[in-house]
Amino acid sequence: MAAQTVPPPAPAPIPDPVLPPRSEVGVTGWLHANLFSAWYNTVLTLVFGLIILLALGFGLNWVFNTAEWTVVVELGGRFIIGQYNTEAACPGQNCFWRPQVALLLVMALLGMAWGMSGNRVARVMALVSAGGTAALALLPYSMETMGLDVRLLLVANLPALALGWALARYTSLGTGARIAMLGVAVFLITLLLLRGLPGVPGLRPVSVIYWGGLMLNLVLAVGGITLSLPIGIALALGRRSSLPVVKVLCVTFIEVFRGVPLITLLFMSQVLVPLAFPENFPLNSLLRAGIVITLFSAAYMAENIRGGLQALHSGQEEAARALGLPGWETTLLISLPQAIRNVIPAIVGQFIGLFKDTSLVYIIGMLDIVEIGRVFVQGNAEYRANAKEVFVFVALVFWVFTYGMSYISQRIEEHLGVGRR
Amino acid sequence: MATVPRLLTYQDIPVWRHILIIQWTAQIVSGVVVVALVIWFFTNIGNAIQDRDIPYGFSFLSREYQTPIGEHFIPYESSDTFLYAFGVAITNTLIVAVAGVILATLLGIVIGVARLSGNWLVSKLATVYIEFFRNVPLLVQLLFWFFIILALPPVREGYVIGGMLYVNNGGISLPWPHVSGYAAALTWVALAVVAVVIGVALNKWLSYRETTTGKPSYPLIIGIAAPLLLGAIAWLVLSFATGDSPFFISTPEPQGRFGRIVGGFTARTGLLVMLLGLVIYTASFIAEIVRAGIQSVGRGQTEAARALGLSPMNTLRRVVFPQALRVIIPPLISQCLNLTKNSSLAGAVGYSDLTSVALTMTQTAPAVSIFMLIMGAYLAMSLTWSLIGNLYNRRLQFGGRR
Repeated sequence: MAAQTVPPPAPAPIPDPVLPPRSEVGVTGWLHANLFSAWYNTVLTLVFGLIILLALGFGLNWVFNTAEWTVVVELGGRFIIGQYNTEAACPGQNCFWRPQVALLLVMALLGMAWGMSGNRVARVMALVSAGGTAALALLPYSMETMGLDVRLLLVANLPALALGWALARYTSLGTGARIAMLGVAVFLITLLLLRGLPGVPGLRPVSVIYWGGLMLNLVLAVGGITLSLPIGIALALGRRSSLPVVKVLCVTFIEVFRGVPLITLLFMSQVLVPLAFPENFPLNSLLRAGIVITLFSAAYMAENIRGGLQALHSGQEEAARALGLPGWETTLLISLPQAIRNVIPAIVGQFIGLFKDTSLVYIIGMLDIVEIGRVFVQGNAEYRANAKEVFVFVALVFWVFTYGMSYISQRIEEHLGVGRR
Repeated sequence: MATVPRLLTYQDIPVWRHILIIQWTAQIVSGVVVVALVIWFFTNIGNAIQDRDIPYGFSFLSREYQTPIGEHFIPYESSDTFLYAFGVAITNTLIVAVAGVILATLLGIVIGVARLSGNWLVSKLATVYIEFFRNVPLLVQLLFWFFIILALPPVREGYVIGGMLYVNNGGISLPWPHVSGYAAALTWVALAVVAVVIGVALNKWLSYRETTTGKPSYPLIIGIAAPLLLGAIAWLVLSFATGDSPFFISTPEPQGRFGRIVGGFTARTGLLVMLLGLVIYTASFIAEIVRAGIQSVGRGQTEAARALGLSPMNTLRRVVFPQALRVIIPPLISQCLNLTKNSSLAGAVGYSDLTSVALTMTQTAPAVSIFMLIMGAYLAMSLTWSLIGNLYNRRLQFGGRR
């Protein structure tokens, strides 16, 4: 190798940076890249822009001019609690405070969740729910229709939230496990408050046939969501079990419940199931509906979780076993947490499906938020033409809840870092 | 050969602590408990039926149903039997399910692709569509469409588009092919099927020739043109032979003072609402499935296809979509199943599907038997969907390993 004595070439002068053309940066750049990148994109943009403008114009005109929202105003509180506070349900006394006190408890719980986690999503959710319900107190109803007591109990949601927040912050109640236990307690207290206790003066029993409106949907959804996840996990594990009897039982259950429409099952629970129990057996229509909805959802949940378990690399389980973990602990500590984390969207999707499915209780004659609107519209000829308004309103109410659920699930996923590892 | 006790014991550990013993005891106990519960349940129902004199059994199936069915696509009279009425109801469900699945899949694919469009406006619009319709209960949507259609003007004052399409509170009427003579029509359909088979075969052979020899052979154009031409020739020959064309297009025509629509095909309110609601609702789910499927195909595939000079359309059609299908098909099948089951909401909007007819039947026939029939029918439909899905899935999997 001969020594090279050629001097290194003189560095070339750095050229002035060439700026990207103005059409590629800033607002024009964005427009060019996203709306007008090719001739067909320009056509699409123009056509859809026109359609959106027309639809928006039509929609806004309908919302503010054509639509008659009096029917929604007329239904008012019935959307929320159904016939709960009618004379038939609660003769001789006011019952509106019972759902409202239950709501206060829920709000305190929400405040605790916010106080414990302290993250942005919990804060936004807590403040929006409490603020939204408190704002209902400002509705321009007359004092006869919506008394001062109702309004005050609505406003009380704000201090309830604050109380929950403070409890979680400054007492030892602010841990996940305790809040979960309190949540179960609040749910049971809510049921007790709504159902009433025979013999207690203020808490006269209210038959479940009068439970209705959004309250009914929420009670069914919360109960169903809480129970369908553990049942679904058990079914999924059973289906993957190596024990043939357990496997056959789980597969049969899952396939039968997934193969039949929910409204058939609901109807069956109303006609067939009572025959199987002695008369006066304490199994009312609400409970039966709740059980059917829960089991139906659990069957779907099982399939979601099974998908998560199947997607898991077998090395995880083998490693756990190699480290000496017994079978159950391998499942509970290694497989399940990862499987569930991977199928969070599907699980939340199933929760949303369950919440939407609570609208099917119309088939057994319960007046949930949808059915109460439909019955009202069909029963009052003067409002027949305003059915659109009712269902648009109901759709929005559902949408707020379901979209909220999917938003939270997305945040949880981000938090857990799904897809990043 | 070890004897059984030797197999089951290890050192001093008692036999009953052996894993097999524990597992089988648990299994037998749980199996017995479940079977006992089921038997208890049905015995109680049986007792209740006898105590309360509730009729049971399946003899009612040959009785006359004596109740009108709102909408039916095969001839039906009130004097027909329960069994036949059940069949009518199943056809109604199947018609909604099949038409709904086809339309929802098409709409879902369009929206799913739109959601991934590079055009910001189109993709945002698709997102809004999905996020709204997916998150509102189907029942609410069905009732909304139901009352929208009911609020339309009556037939005589309804909307007429191009003199052919009638939109009014009775539904939508559109031109539809009608049969003039069954012999000629069936012959033509048979010939048309043969023509399509020939077209497909031509297409396969020509594309094989094109890929192996490189000679331009226009497989797509010839594959479409050949059956069209053959069909047209068959049509002309048949028309000359019988003096009447096999099919004619009948246009809807309002008649009488209140304007009963005669001719064409009328999708009455119930059917129309069911299709609108089911298609719009299910398409939002299918769109998400299609999007996830397309996104599951690696970016490199698209980039490689583009680098090889394939047009964006061909990249999607020949490279991305075939690979995405493997991810798309299983959840798509479960959506088809969901759509079929969701058609059971028909009763709320006055369409006589299987569930609504069967629930009406429970007023005059034994409920237990009716429920068994409903469950059997829906389980059969679910199984059919799963079967189709599994077959298709298997084909795709093999295709991938070749």
